Parts: sequence; C-alpha cells; structure tokens
Amino acid sequence: MTRRVPRLAPFLPWLLAMLSLVMAPMAFSQSLAVQRLKIAGTVSSVDWEAYRSRFVEDSGRVVDTANGNISHSEGQGYGLLLALAASDRRSFEQIWSFTFTELLIRDDGLAVWKWDPGAKPRVTDRNNATDGDLLIAYALAKAGEVWQEPRYTTAAQKIARAIGKNTLGRSGRSLILLPGASGFGEGDRPDGPVVNLSYWVFETFPIMAALAPEYEWTRVWRDGVLLLQQATAGRVRLPADWLSLQSGLQPKPADGFPPEFGYNSLRIPLYLLRAGMTDLEWLRALKQRWSAENEGVAVVNVVTGQIRERLTDQGYAILHAALACALEGTSVPPALRTFEPSLYYPSTLYLLAKSLLGEKYPQCVSSAAP
Amino acid sequence: MRLVGSAITTAILILGFAAIAQQTGPGGSQPPAGSPPSESPPANGSQSQVDESALRYFASQGDTRRVNAEIARLRALYPNWTPPSDLSQLSAGGAAAAPDPIIERLWNLYREDRIAEVRAAIAERQTSDQNWKPPEELVTALETVEARRRLVNASDSGQWQTVLSVATEAPSLLTCTNVDVLWRVAEAFARTDRPARTRDVYTYLLTNCANPAERLATLQKALTLLPEQQVADLLQFERRAGETPDDFSSIRDELARRRVERASLDSKMTASAEDLAAVERLMRNTNEAGPVLILGWYNYHHGNPARALELFKTGLDRNGGAKAAEGYAMSLRALERLTDAEAFAYEWRERAPENMKIYLDIATALLSQDPPQRLEARVVARIVPVVTAQRFSNGAQALGWYSYNTQQIRTARDWFRTALGWKPEEEPSAYGLALSTQRLNERAAFNAIVAQWRNRSERIADLADGTGPGSGRRPAPDQPRAEMDAAPRAAVPRQVAVERVEVEQPLVRTEEGVRVRQTQARSTLGRSCAMTRNPTNLSGDAALTRGWCLMEINRPLEAVAAFDQAIATGSGRAREEAAYGKSLAYLRKNLTSEAAIAAAEAPQTRSRQVELGASILTQRALAAYRDKRYVETLLALGERARLVPEQNDLLLIRGWSYFNLGRYKDAEQVFRAVQRTGHSEEASIGLNAIQEATDQASQ
Repeated sequence: MTRRVPRLAPFLPWLLAMLSLVMAPMAFSQSLAVQRLKIAGTVSSVDWEAYRSRFVEDSGRVVDTANGNISHSEGQGYGLLLALAASDRRSFEQIWSFTFTELLIRDDGLAVWKWDPGAKPRVTDRNNATDGDLLIAYALAKAGEVWQEPRYTTAAQKIARAIGKNTLGRSGRSLILLPGASGFGEGDRPDGPVVNLSYWVFETFPIMAALAPEYEWTRVWRDGVLLLQQATAGRVRLPADWLSLQSGLQPKPADGFPPEFGYNSLRIPLYLLRAGMTDLEWLRALKQRWSAENEGVAVVNVVTGQIRERLTDQGYAILHAALACALEGTSVPPALRTFEPSLYYPSTLYLLAKSLLGEKYPQCVSSAAP
Repeated sequence: MRLVGSAITTAILILGFAAIAQQTGPGGSQPPAGSPPSESPPANGSQSQVDESALRYFASQGDTRRVNAEIARLRALYPNWTPPSDLSQLSAGGAAAAPDPIIERLWNLYREDRIAEVRAAIAERQTSDQNWKPPEELVTALETVEARRRLVNASDSGQWQTVLSVATEAPSLLTCTNVDVLWRVAEAFARTDRPARTRDVYTYLLTNCANPAERLATLQKALTLLPEQQVADLLQFERRAGETPDDFSSIRDELARRRVERASLDSKMTASAEDLAAVERLMRNTNEAGPVLILGWYNYHHGNPARALELFKTGLDRNGGAKAAEGYAMSLRALERLTDAEAFAYEWRERAPENMKIYLDIATALLSQDPPQRLEARVVARIVPVVTAQRFSNGAQALGWYSYNTQQIRTARDWFRTALGWKPEEEPSAYGLALSTQRLNERAAFNAIVAQWRNRSERIADLADGTGPGSGRRPAPDQPRAEMDAAPRAAVPRQVAVERVEVEQPLVRTEEGVRVRQTQARSTLGRSCAMTRNPTNLSGDAALTRGWCLMEINRPLEAVAAFDQAIATGSGRAREEAAYGKSLAYLRKNLTSEAAIAAAEAPQTRSRQVELGASILTQRALAAYRDKRYVETLLALGERARLVPEQNDLLLIRGWSYFNLGRYKDAEQVFRAVQRTGHSEEASIGLNAIQEATDQASQ
C-alpha cells in the first residue's frame, strides 16, 4: 500500500466508485446470496446459563458489567439473539419485556440506547443506536419465525421500518447507515456524516429487506462493504471506529473520537463471517495481523499503526480463531473451547462466535479435531 | 381477544372525550373509559378502576388466605376502596375447578410487579404445552401494566407521541385510578401543541375523579401547561359541597398573583382591587419575599414610590436580596432622594448586574442634578472607580458635566474624552469635549473634534462657527472661499463678505451671557430638557431653567415657549430674565422683529437694553443687506452705532452698502478707515471695486 503515490489520491474515490459499479454485481453474486443463519440451537445451555446468570437480570435487563452496569439497546439485542441461539424462550421473553417497556419508547419507534440504573429517569440518552435497533429487530424476526410468535414478528417489522425511515442517509452516491437518528448527519456536525462500520450488522440486512422491503437494504449493505474497503485501503489497513465521510468517498477518522481501530470495529470480521462474506481480501490481512506471531487482537491507532492495548480475553481471541477456521479450516484451540465468562462484551462476542462456529464450522470445534 | 373491539372504541372515546365530558357534565361519575372486562359495573367511578383481577382470581380459587392478603394490599394502595361484594359468589362458583399452581404463581409475580418474569413464565409454560393459554384477565392486566410503564418512561424522556399512541392503544389506563397517567397524557397534548386536548383531559379528570388532593394537583399542573384563562375556566369544577369539598383558593390566588405580577411591570396595566387584595393576603400569610416584591414593583410602576419603598424594605427584611435592593434603590430615586439612593445602591452594586446598573444610573443622576449641586468629595470619589471599572460612558459624561459646572474644565475635558473613548458615537460626549477644549483654548484638540463631528452635530458645528454658546474663533469657512474661486466677479465677494462677517461676534457678549446662565441653570444637555414636553405646567423658575437649557442644546423655538411660560408665571426678576432669553432665542433664529418685541415684554436693565438693542439692530442690518435693501441696512447700522461702537466687519457692510447705492465717496471713506485698522485685504477689495466702478463710469 505504500506504493500508492500521493498524486493518485484525488482519483481514488472516483476509481473506487467506477470499480464498484463494475465489480459489485460480481462480488455480491457471491456474498449477497447469503446462507442465512439458523441461530436457534447453536449455543449450549451450559454456555448460555453461564452468560445469563451473570449478565441478565430477572427484569430482563442485560447488564454491561464493564460500563457501570448500565444497559443499552445493543446489549438487549445481543441478549435476545443469544437467548434464541440457546433456544431459551423464557429468557427471550424476559429480555424482550424489558426492551419493550424501558427502551422502545421513542416517538420514531426506535429504542433509546442508554439506560442507567443509577439515574432518574433511567434513560440517560434518548438517542438511538442503530446497531442496537438492527439487532433487536433481527432477533425478534428470527424468534417470531422459529417460535411462530406473531407478537415478535410485528414488533420486528415496526422497528425495521423505523430504522429504514430514520437512520438511512446519503453520502455522495452511497446509502449509509447513520449511527443514530440524530447527531451524525451531514448537517449535524462539521465533519458529518459520521458512521461506524461496526453498526453494519450484515446478517440483518436480508431480514430487514423482508420486513421493510420499501427501503434499499441491499444497497446499504453493498455500500457498507465498499466503505469498508475504502477505510481499510490505507497504510495501516484498519478502519477507525468512527469515520467522517465529509469528503465524499474518502473516509477519515471523525473529529472528537480517537483515531482507533477499537472495541467497536473488532466486531466487523465476526459480522462478515456470520453473513458468510468470507471472500473479502481484508479478512486475510486481518487474520495475519491477529495471529499470535504478529500483533494479536489489539486496539490500534489507525494513523500511526501503534498498539494502544492488547486484548487477550477469550472473547477477543476467539475472533482470530474464527477467522482462521473460516479462511483456512484451522481448528479452534482447546483453550478457547470452554466458555469462561468475564465481562459482558467479550463474553457476548465469544458466544456469537461460538454460535457461528457451531452452526457453520462444526469441524473446527468438534472433539475429534486435534 | 375480546378486548380488541372495545379497546378501539374506548380509545376513540377517550381521545375525543371533550364531547363526552361535556355530555356527562360535572357530577357525572361514569368515566368513559372501558373498565377491565372482568369487573362488574362499578358502584363508584373513582374506585371502580382498582385492579381487582388478582383478587378475583384468588377468590375463584377459594384461596381465602390470598384473598385476604390481596384485600389488605389494595386497601393500602387505595384508601377509599372497598372490596367487591360478589367475591363469595365467585368463590362458590369457582370451587369446582382444580386450582392451577402455575396460575397462582403468575398472579403472585404480577402482584409483586415482576412483569418480565410473568411473561417469561407464560412463555416457558407455552413451550412445554402448546395449547396452554394464560387467563385472559392476566393478559389484560399485563398489557395494562406494560402500557403504563412505557407511557411513564416515554413521558419521562419527553417522547410525547409515544405517550399518546400508548394511551390510544391502552385506554383502560385512562381512569381515575391512574391520575398520574392522565396528567402525563395531558402534558403530552400540551407538548405537542394541542392545549385544547390538554384542557379536555383536565376537564375529564375534574368531572370524574374524586380525590381532592389529585383534583387540586390537576389544577396545579394546568397552571404550568395552560393559558391562565383556561385554568380560570377549570375552576368552575370546584366541588364546594359533599364529603370532600375542594379548596381551589390557592389556584385562584396564584392566578391573581400572576395578573398583578404582569401589571407590576407595566405602568399601563392596572390590576383589579380584588387581585391586589389577594396578593396583599399572600404577603401577610407568608414570610416569602415574592408577593412583597410584586406589590413593590406594582406600586413603583403605578406612581406610588413611597409605598413601593416600604414594600421593598419589607422585601429586604425577608431576604428578598438583589431584586428587593434594586426596587428599593429605584424607589429612592423616584422619590428624588438621590443622595440616599446612591449610598444604598453603592452597597448592593456587586450583587447582580441589575444592581450595578441601577447604581450607575443613580450616580449619574446624582451628578447631573438640576440645578447642579456640590457633592461630598467622598461620594464623587467612590463613583469614579465604579464608572471607570464599568466603562460606563453616561457616568463619564455626567462626571464631565459635573466637573465643567464646578469649573474644573480640565477634568471635564478628560472625562468627556474618556466617555468618547468608551462610546465613540456619543454626540453629547463629543459636544462636552468640544465645549471644554474651547474653554481651555486648546485649538488643536477643539479643531480635531469639530472636524470629526461638524457634519453630524449641528451644535458642534455651531460652536465652531461661533453661533453656538461658545465664543471660539471660527475656523476658516471653506465653502464661501470655494464659491469665490468659482465666480470671481466683483459682486460675489461682496455677498461672501457678508456671509463671513454675518455673526462675527455681534452676539458674542450676549451669547456669553447665555452660556453663563445656561451653565448656572445646569442643564444636563440633552438629559433634562432634551425631551420634548409641554412647558405649560412648569413653574416660572423651572420654565426659565428649561428655557436656558433648550438654548444650550440649540433649540431656540422651544426655548421661546419655555420663556413665554416664565414670563406668564414668573416673578418680576424671572420675567425680565425670560424676556431677555426670549429675545436671544429669536435672535438665534434671525427673527429680529420678534426679538425686539420680546425685549419689550419686560423692563430690562440699561446694559441689557444696550446689549439686546445692538444685537437686534445688527441682525436687522445683516438681514436687510442680504436682501439688497441697502438704505435700510445703513439706517439700522446708524441706529446701532448710537448704542455701541461699530466694529470692522459691520463697517465693511456699511462700505458695501454705500458702494451698492453708488455712494462711492462714502464707501471709499469707510474702506479706507477699515484699511487703517489692519483689515487691509477686505478693504482693498472694496477700494478696487470703487476704482473699477468709477473707471467704468468715466469711460
């Protein structure tokens, strides 16, 4: 990438746009025809019970234990998804009850994102977080199908429509997913629009398209992949968590956020794998970078390439293992096979990865493997 | 399922219950909301909405222990509630059915408000038994609780559309047992700009719900969300009889207080005696400063500063703080107790910006008193640093005039300059600076300020041209010179010469006199007399002072009116002074005959007779000359010469008059005389003109 001479830079956006027009149909003939995940039944009751007992309260609240025990729409979405994966209808209903009564109160039909047990009122930020909304709608739609529960399907559809109506934005010719209904658009901040690539939960888009076909979900998906390709085209090859798209197609780290590939973006490869989009070249590069011989999973400054924090928790390590499994068939190391829950976020990533491995790559986790 | 139809109907009813409430009318006890279907028709509107579903269930199961526990719980929650009388029938009827332990568990969880767990347990049971269905009462109860939670959460987060849509979907919430929900719905209507709907909800509540505390609280809510008239309209629902009569007097008082408060800040609005009495009562019944201050401001703005002063004093005693102090200082000022006001306001000046402002205003007023007063040195000394620190240009100006009037002209000059530095566009500062530099004979400084302001300020231009109160030397008149250059014919310079000499000092002495008097009268230049007002209600002396003041700001015709008033009402001395002033005012406007008449309106001293006579005759001569009436010019000059010696500029007029009448010999004689006194240039022009004229004649 160092070969890229600076004077070419102005042509790059154009070039990429042209390329996308040519390449997109090809690329997506593969990845858009995604094998949908079944999800239900892919997490063992032992693993789920370990998770549930630590992070889910009786009220149905999923607790972010590393963040002052607050709750957020993302956590509720993950909780629903994992309860479905564990086929735990009881917990699913419980988590949904909290989500519905405490978070799904916005006028536009989206969920408020932040709920703090120590505050009054408990909702401390009434903006939404679009990934949370996608996860909730996705889990509801899946559960509605599996358990034949029209309440879930109806709720999923309402949220999907609200996402389509309120969080899709434009940047040049791209259709983008705004991280929140307000505060991130072109007119909302000087460097707007600002996006977060880890909010593209790719596996949800086909479901959204079924729930709210009046919106261009396929385009959101495709433009998200393009954006990812652009954002990983730099020297360091990692996207910053928060990207400004102010200058059209050339994403750059957004103002006011550290220019880091951080906890947010760690999820991107997992989402790609879960959506079956394994043929992105960037995933190979990332697998290399994340291997133990190289730098491993870490928070990295995308400008300097410097590591700020190495992440060794099981929930991060399994991300590399899943990449290695999906790309090269490498078996998951024994140390990662047994769930040892620590904090909410890595534990969630662990179960999401394990659910994927169990459903799509059983050979990597089977006891017969070395 | 059976809820659906009725729910939609009642939602429509509820959200349109303006009409319903009117039909029901006050005293109607039947709320339009549908009661939970499991319940028997309510005997009492306010009690019918207690959630008895769990109770009924336990009764139907014959579980006496739980029935009693539930009755105790509901009694604690709703003191007015009485258990339904049909429980025993339920018990008898239901005894046949075998009790289902899970249902009991569900109701228990429900009672403990563990809603997510009820939902979870239902789901769990349905997983194991596809055909199992929870009791419909329980589902309804759950939906109601969930709806209430969402509604409350949405309202806490200002999601008003959600509040309204939840209310529409769960009309069973909109009952007297959920007054809090009704309040939130009312607020949601108000926040989404539908105050008429808000009023409808309150009307419904006041018509149907019985709890007096909640009824009063409803009006308190209305006070924060509805226009006052609508709140006043809601007072009609006050129940004056019955077991628990309402007492809405606090609401009435609050409305009165608001009306008086509004009127207290607007002198054009008056409050009714009833409202004022209500606020007086509030004042007596509390130790709060609030009502006292309102009455203080009301009195202040309605011509009763003495009463206002008392009230603000009370306000101060009640810890009314900065606001009370502001009112107290303003009342003192209104009572013209400026010295007290200054001393008081000084102490409070740091408390709030308003207190600083009133201090500066009072200090300025104190310095600018009319007639001017000498202030204690320590008072001036404490005003100075505050004015300086606050860069308050009015104060600097006032310090300027104060210095000027106490003959500290250099200090005055410095203050005017400072004031101008702080506010460069303040003409009065510039005028003060011009006046003081002129007094100090600081030519360069004076010229600089004149050059900067003469196109913007007539009176500064007048100062420079010598027509103003000052006696400064005129700067060279540019425009006439230009004219002369453009048209170098002999006749033109003659005209020009007149323009130039026109007011060259004939009025010097008289205008000097004006200035002395103006200074004595100590107008504050544009402060105390600049405002146009009818002088007919002024006393002789006040009218006189005003007249001089108006002269100083160069508004002679208004000064004439003021002097007239002084002549009409003043003492002999004042009348003489006023007649004199009036003559000078007319002279200022070049109205010489009027000036002459005015001079005769009251006997004048000999010296003034001479002074006025000379001035009048000078103007008369100049006016005649301008009109080319040369004989009259010479007559006026002749008359004037008998009173006072004729100076060079008038001699030149005399010369040109002779010239224009063709009396060349006389003209030559005059020009030669002028030439001998040193004004050779102008005289030479005259002599050359004679030469030319006689040469032509001889040809």
